Amino acid sequence: MGIALGCSGVTVSFDSVKALNDVSLTLESGKIHALLGQNGAGKTTLARFFSGLIKPDTGRLEINGCEVESGEVSEARAQGLEIVHQRFTLPPTFSVSDALELSATLKKGRAIFSTNTVAKSWGDEMQKAGIDASPFAKVGSLPIETVQSLEILRALSGNARILILDEPTALLSPGAIASLFERLRKLRADGVSLLVILHKLQEVLEIADTVTVLRDGRLVANPTPIENTSSSELSDLMIGGDGGPSVLQAQAAMSASGKARLVADSVTTASQKPGEPELSDATFVVRESEILGVAGVEGNGQRQLADLVCGFAELRDGRISLDGVDLSELSLAERRRIGIRIVPFDRMSEGASLATPLWENVITWRAEEFRKPHIPFLSVRAMKQRSREILGGLGVKFDSLEQSAMSLSGGNLQRLILARELENGVKLLVAAQPTRGLDFSATDFVLRCLEQLRNNGAAVIMMSSDLDELFDLSDRVIVLRGGRIAGEFQPPYDRQLVGDAMVGATR
Amino acid sequence: MNRVAANLLRFGVPVLASFLVCGLFFSLAGYDVWEVTLGILEGAVTGPGSFRQSLRWSIPMVLIALGFMISFRTGEFNIGGQGQLMLGGLGAVAVALIVPGPQLLILPLAILTGICAGALWSAIAGLLKLRYGADEVITTLMLNFIAVLFIQWVTVGPLRDEAVRGQTASTKRVDPSLRLTGGDGISPSMLVLVALAILVAWLIAERTPFGLKSRLVGANPVAAMWQGVPVKRIRLWAYLLAGGFAGLAGALEVLGPNGRLVTDATPTIGFTAIVVAIVGMSNVPGIVLAALLFGGLQASILFLPIVSDLPSSGLRIVEGLIAAIVTARFFHLRWRKKQAASVSE
Repeated sequence: MGIALGCSGVTVSFDSVKALNDVSLTLESGKIHALLGQNGAGKTTLARFFSGLIKPDTGRLEINGCEVESGEVSEARAQGLEIVHQRFTLPPTFSVSDALELSATLKKGRAIFSTNTVAKSWGDEMQKAGIDASPFAKVGSLPIETVQSLEILRALSGNARILILDEPTALLSPGAIASLFERLRKLRADGVSLLVILHKLQEVLEIADTVTVLRDGRLVANPTPIENTSSSELSDLMIGGDGGPSVLQAQAAMSASGKARLVADSVTTASQKPGEPELSDATFVVRESEILGVAGVEGNGQRQLADLVCGFAELRDGRISLDGVDLSELSLAERRRIGIRIVPFDRMSEGASLATPLWENVITWRAEEFRKPHIPFLSVRAMKQRSREILGGLGVKFDSLEQSAMSLSGGNLQRLILARELENGVKLLVAAQPTRGLDFSATDFVLRCLEQLRNNGAAVIMMSSDLDELFDLSDRVIVLRGGRIAGEFQPPYDRQLVGDAMVGATR
Repeated sequence: MNRVAANLLRFGVPVLASFLVCGLFFSLAGYDVWEVTLGILEGAVTGPGSFRQSLRWSIPMVLIALGFMISFRTGEFNIGGQGQLMLGGLGAVAVALIVPGPQLLILPLAILTGICAGALWSAIAGLLKLRYGADEVITTLMLNFIAVLFIQWVTVGPLRDEAVRGQTASTKRVDPSLRLTGGDGISPSMLVLVALAILVAWLIAERTPFGLKSRLVGANPVAAMWQGVPVKRIRLWAYLLAGGFAGLAGALEVLGPNGRLVTDATPTIGFTAIVVAIVGMSNVPGIVLAALLFGGLQASILFLPIVSDLPSSGLRIVEGLIAAIVTARFFHLRWRKKQAASVSE
């Protein structure tokens, strides 16, 4: 049996972060290969490398046994490799047949054509592939699984023999996943080689012939035949299986029974983010002087949890209160006034406004406090002075208050966000991925801040995909999966059990 | 002081560049550039009464531009100044013509009605955008056309001046006691009113929580939202204020130089004002300066054909060129910003 895809010594770095670190593997043709790993493990980067979208720092690429110049989409396509991205590429306002005609790899030599001929030829193709939709329907009006089938059809409309699917199941309902898998098996029977990126173990075990595991940009398991592995073994590989309970955890366990601060009582949200699960029937409590860690594969309700606390998500069912005050009718501004603060997921786009001067980034939300006596206008001098104190308080390094936030490094920017959020009367802080992308010392600084906040009596919800720091810091850990709380853990944490709860493995 | 100098440079260079380019073209076309330059200066500054004329045109420009600035800072591109100006004029003229009462009461009432009419006209576009996502560039632009036609209907219909026989329909003249100025549009009370309006705009933009928050909303609405800033409410207020300032401009036209509502008295002022706001770099001093410049150009445009054989469209070219050069720089910056943002993601 031939080699469909191969690479050796591939390293890809973004700035100082190595997304892939010396990865070498070969995948046999005519099989379904699964690529498994946590978020940020490098799965998508590897897929993009294979399809020519990324040029690596070093490393060689081989498709169908031929060495191919890496970083050239056309080269990869010429060898019959196509990729179906996680975000779909067919234009939603086009009719199905127009969209397919536009995006198909191989034009069928028509320079002038009528709507009907295009619709007919693609209609036939769709029928052959078993897709039940009118070629005249608008792409955007179709259910998501149909669009995905169309994406696959598009990818295969040339002479693709190798197909990469980036998290094809992430947006699908269970029924749709089953029929997707049916389709993939049919493709395998036709001799197409498939590389499928997944992060749910059940799915891997169900569909794949071999499984490859990435962790932190490194290959931790070569393509392994699926019958030679188990869900618990894969879970360990994915999450990393070292380290026992630390001293910090023992300390954390001591402070477990303060007064309840945030109480969420069988909460169901309606945040309307397509393709992501809503929180459903989630009940949890965060106490004063407590850090509640939230573990989970990304896209399993973390955004919805933050939206719930901020009031962005509609509360479909259940109740939420802080120190006994019902939050459901309060705007975020009012919630902030009673002590709720948030470090958002993405510091560049959500946490700070990069084009805005530093002082406005920290003071604007509470501008009302700086009115001059007797007249309703603001004292800019007082605001700047306060900003300087706030920034200085957490050691943000800057030259001038007027410089834009764009000029700060990642760690410095996170300090600015923390400085703003930790000011003055924090009762509950939601820290969403507060250390993502930070170097070691900046990470350490963020974690110390959260710890100190806890020691001062605040309640903290910490979401992170780094289990080590979650375990080090948290007094308790809950796991989100599919919008439900899939488990609650006390220190000392059992990494395997938490990992199993995250991916839904059973032993 | 350094920042002031830098801003003056950013203001001056494109303006100077467009004059130079136009000068080149005028001379290639066989005009005496020196004579034209003198003509422009005479029309805008040195001629008898010409500076008053420049000021007269600067006034509606500066007001509409300040309104545009306020909404632009929140990230909304409200180009409906022209329509809001006309509605403001209608509101003012309606009160001045219909409501009886002492001057001391009716004059402020007329101005206030003008402001409200402009604000409401702008709020239509605001609500369409914030509620239904209708692009504000389209809606404000289209509302301009509706405003023109509406004013035409009013001036040939309900408020028509029977005495006027001619092509341009207009309302009756308002009572002289309700006029702020004579036909030249300048009087102490007018200047005080405008200075007050400029001060208010500055205070709103630079010294209120609204002004500060609108800058954050304009720069990054998502970050603003996470900090609890009510993005939509800020933007709706921005629409109201933008319309209010344009409405004030309309009211002052009617109660000042025009003395009545005329269908096509100032068909382009609302658009020139957008250029004024952009050339003025969306800050109050810059806009005042730019309004004086464009007011002067406007005065020259009306004057120049009299003294030199250069048609007034020649100066429209200068105006357009300044707009083009400044806008190019402006979008270049925005593009660079966007690029920087996407790289850092």
